[in-house]
Amino acid sequence: MTSVTMPETGGPGDGSVILRCEGITKAFQGVHAVNGAAFDVVKGQVTALIGPNGAGKTTLVNILSGSMTCDRGHEFIGGTEVTNWPSHRIARLGLMRTFQLSRELGGLTVLENLLVAPHQQPGESLFNVFFRPRLVKRQERAYVERALDLLDTYGLYRLRDNRAGELSGGQKKLLEISRAVMVSPQVLLLDEPMAGVNPALIDRIGGYILDLQRSGVTVLMIEHNLNVVEQICDHVIVLAEGRTLATGRLSELRQNEQVVKAYLGEVIDAGTDR
Amino acid sequence: MSGTWYYIFTLAFFLFDYFILAMGLNIQYGETGILNFAYIGFVAIGAYVTGVLSLPSSAGTGQYYILGLSLPFPVNLLLGGLTASAFAVLVALIALRRLRTDYLAMVLISLSLVLYDVCNNYVPLFNGADGLYNVPEPFAAALKLNTNSFIPFFAAVTGVIALFMWFVMSRVTRSPAGRTFRAIRDDEVVAAALGKDVFRQQLKSMLIGSFYAGIGGGLLIQFSGSFNPTAWLPGETFVVFAVILVGGVGNNIGLLVGALLVETLLVHLPAFLPAIPGAPGLIEYFDAVLIGVLLMVMLWFRPQGVVPERARRAASFGVKARLGTAAGELAEHVGSARAPQATTEPVALTTEGSGP
Ligand SMILES: Nc1ncnc2c1ncn2[C@@H]1O[C@H](COP(=O)(O)OP(=O)(O)O)[C@@H](O)[C@H]1O
Ligand SMILES: [Mg+2]
Repeated sequence: MTSVTMPETGGPGDGSVILRCEGITKAFQGVHAVNGAAFDVVKGQVTALIGPNGAGKTTLVNILSGSMTCDRGHEFIGGTEVTNWPSHRIARLGLMRTFQLSRELGGLTVLENLLVAPHQQPGESLFNVFFRPRLVKRQERAYVERALDLLDTYGLYRLRDNRAGELSGGQKKLLEISRAVMVSPQVLLLDEPMAGVNPALIDRIGGYILDLQRSGVTVLMIEHNLNVVEQICDHVIVLAEGRTLATGRLSELRQNEQVVKAYLGEVIDAGTDR
Repeated sequence: MSGTWYYIFTLAFFLFDYFILAMGLNIQYGETGILNFAYIGFVAIGAYVTGVLSLPSSAGTGQYYILGLSLPFPVNLLLGGLTASAFAVLVALIALRRLRTDYLAMVLISLSLVLYDVCNNYVPLFNGADGLYNVPEPFAAALKLNTNSFIPFFAAVTGVIALFMWFVMSRVTRSPAGRTFRAIRDDEVVAAALGKDVFRQQLKSMLIGSFYAGIGGGLLIQFSGSFNPTAWLPGETFVVFAVILVGGVGNNIGLLVGALLVETLLVHLPAFLPAIPGAPGLIEYFDAVLIGVLLMVMLWFRPQGVVPERARRAASFGVKARLGTAAGELAEHVGSARAPQATTEPVALTTEGSGP
């Protein structure tokens, strides 16, 4: 019955699993932040990861993106097991992430934040810088063209020469998303992309996420606002105390007593207040 | 040559040499964010190796040192730089791989103290506390230079080398490689999440910076013909840090200004001033105080340095400008902007349909 608000997914999603985690466990000084989380993310979908504060959502994103290692469990991207691979190797497989608290590269300009993103650039090799300058220059122009188009789309074009550290909170959120998009990711992990931004910007970011989905990007986003989840997510994973409590469509989860007790009750109230 | 000219060329030499040293530390610290508190150790390695490669075999010289190959300049100098780089690989493998920046800094300080003690006390290596002396002056015999004419000559040689090294360094820092270094400086975790192999990049930066340190050190021993542990007390590292902090972290021209202000004016010029009657050496003792005060004033009033880092502007890439309208309003008013045109389905986030 929520199909009215569901976007037509279409696109390249063929129901195959692009990101899978099995029994992921992580403890900090004996406290289990993640405790056996297991779920699949289906290619081409926008999946929400919800759960109360401290459920381990951010820790899980840190593990999945390689920013942290896990104690136990397995992670697969496509068919490849990538458990505890370093961050840069996971990124090169096409999994990009944003951070809950924006982490812009403050000393770089907005444009440079995007230009630095592509993996294994020819111009990062000093051999190429000195002996194949034309190749580097050509590649740079291609990056700049793409980056300026993206900044234009994300409404940051006029700020292109500003240092990223000078941006407002909402602008930093947009910058992080566009920086991740710069490399045409296969999977995008967004850690609360809409937290702390005003309602109009929430709409916009929602629009960007749907656009990304249309262009074939699989999105896993942590989101507290269930209205947003309702509007843009195909699938929901509920995490509580580091475990996967339930997965399914939001409408199904609303009928799951356990889920409502653990989480939805409070948030539905909070959500309708907004 | 008059005394004044002697002073001027000596000052010029130190200006050029510290410019090179500052460029090396700047790529490590200013560009990549590696707090290399052992920097002066790499300078010393460059100096000692350059020295023992150009000295003849130690037998009968009254000094004790390894090698003694009588290699000509600049072969010895290049090998001195490369040895410093090789040492950097060793240090990076031990310290860089696992340690956070602040721990790394402490490990590096300890390392420079160990290196200092070894060079100071283990005589067969580089003649211990006496250090190396009588190091042949480059080209002096071939060009029939005497002690006076060697100084302007070698100051000029150092100037040319510094100019070339500045050219190379500015190519590096302006390239995508330099941009990746700065991304790591700003946030290692983000850089890694963007697919950058942080260790590899830091290693690269250490290699380049240490080569510059080694060359700077090699030029020092060639200029003065001697080098001993009093020339590289571990605190010397902070003089180089002062040069880059005062001049401007991340800006190669700023480093030249920093070298002029700190090294030339504060460290070396006072040595040429007439002594204050009744207090010999007093002026020199004030070097460290003056540098400390200058640093504090700078960090307080102008933390970006005299010549701050310059950002590369979009227009300099020579691509067509956009209209800046695709996302509607000015980004400054991002909150009131329309939804992007590309969104065919406006996302209305009302509570409608939010219950079963
Ligand atoms: N680096 C850390 N060190 C110690 N404890 C942590 C760390 N990161 C997270 N935690 C703890 O792990 C639990 C899960 O945190 P987090 O993943 O941030 O939750 P969520 O994002 O779902 O709100 C919390 O109890 C938090 O205090
Ligand atoms: Mg969180």
